[in-house]
Amino acid sequence: MIAGVPTEFTPPGPESFDLPPIIDGVSWFTKPVLVSALSVVVIIWFFWGASRKSAIVPSKLQFAGELGYNFVRNSIARDAIGSAEHMKYVPYLCGLFFFILLNNVAATIPLIQFPTFSHIGWAYVAAIMSWVIYNTVGIRKHGAWGYFKHQTMPAGVPVWLMPLMIPIEFISNIVVRPISLSLRLFANMFAGHILLGVFVLGGEYLVFETGNIALAGVGIVTWLMGLAIAGLELFVQVIQTYIFVVLTAQYIGSAISEEH
Amino acid sequence: MSEHEDPKPSPGNSGDGWRVLSYLIGGVVLYGGIGFGLDRLLGTQFLLPVGIVLGAGLTVLLLHFRYGSRS
Repeated sequence: MIAGVPTEFTPPGPESFDLPPIIDGVSWFTKPVLVSALSVVVIIWFFWGASRKSAIVPSKLQFAGELGYNFVRNSIARDAIGSAEHMKYVPYLCGLFFFILLNNVAATIPLIQFPTFSHIGWAYVAAIMSWVIYNTVGIRKHGAWGYFKHQTMPAGVPVWLMPLMIPIEFISNIVVRPISLSLRLFANMFAGHILLGVFVLGGEYLVFETGNIALAGVGIVTWLMGLAIAGLELFVQVIQTYIFVVLTAQYIGSAISEEH
Repeated sequence: MSEHEDPKPSPGNSGDGWRVLSYLIGGVVLYGGIGFGLDRLLGTQFLLPVGIVLGAGLTVLLLHFRYGSRS
């Protein structure tokens, strides 16, 4: 045992995500609510500003706005849904992309540093929205029974295997998809936030609480590691946004496709 | 399959891995669940692992039919 180690270190846990309300007595108004509302304001400001004075020679803001919009429209929507029908879904996909992106990156922005989607309810709602949309457009296109067959009858499977395959298709396409969509986003944000918390709080404990110069040195290294993890997390935040929106687009694309 | 030609040049491949994952989860959960239920019903012990392996195998077969013919 090292002398002068006073108290135990309590690492951050799930309870670190129970934030107090910002205004006393208004229990629903917590940090995720504030951050998501702010993100909506920023997105509206950004795209309104970018498209307000459209010019042949774009301003910097217009250029940035078009870059983001074109990315979602061409690289996500058109690739996954096909050039004939993708335009209908670009507004949803674009809005979804930038909403998730800003709320994920909020975990890295100083002073905010909280990922909205680390509260699982947010991820559930985003996934349910996508689920409702791809099922609705599929049912509209093929009719209820036609869509059901479309989603559960895999093409190219021998007839005698069909009874075994149809339940897998059903479970996978209707049940597992929204769950995996929401859990993937939630778990990445949750784990990233906790991981950062462990490094930062652990380093703080080693530097300030132990009173031991060698351990303080380790604490500094811990902080540097935390910085590297923060960089990794920024990458994860962007990638998870992309995956969520690409999968939504692919689900829509496969729901309205003529054949698998 | 001749009628099974993808109209798109399958560019959105970045999500295919994740879609495959949801198939694998679905197959294992479904047939593992059936095995678990039958175990409880019949008082046996071996049907849960059989179901899990069967589910995983069937899913791989399904993925072969679904994605394998696309080149």
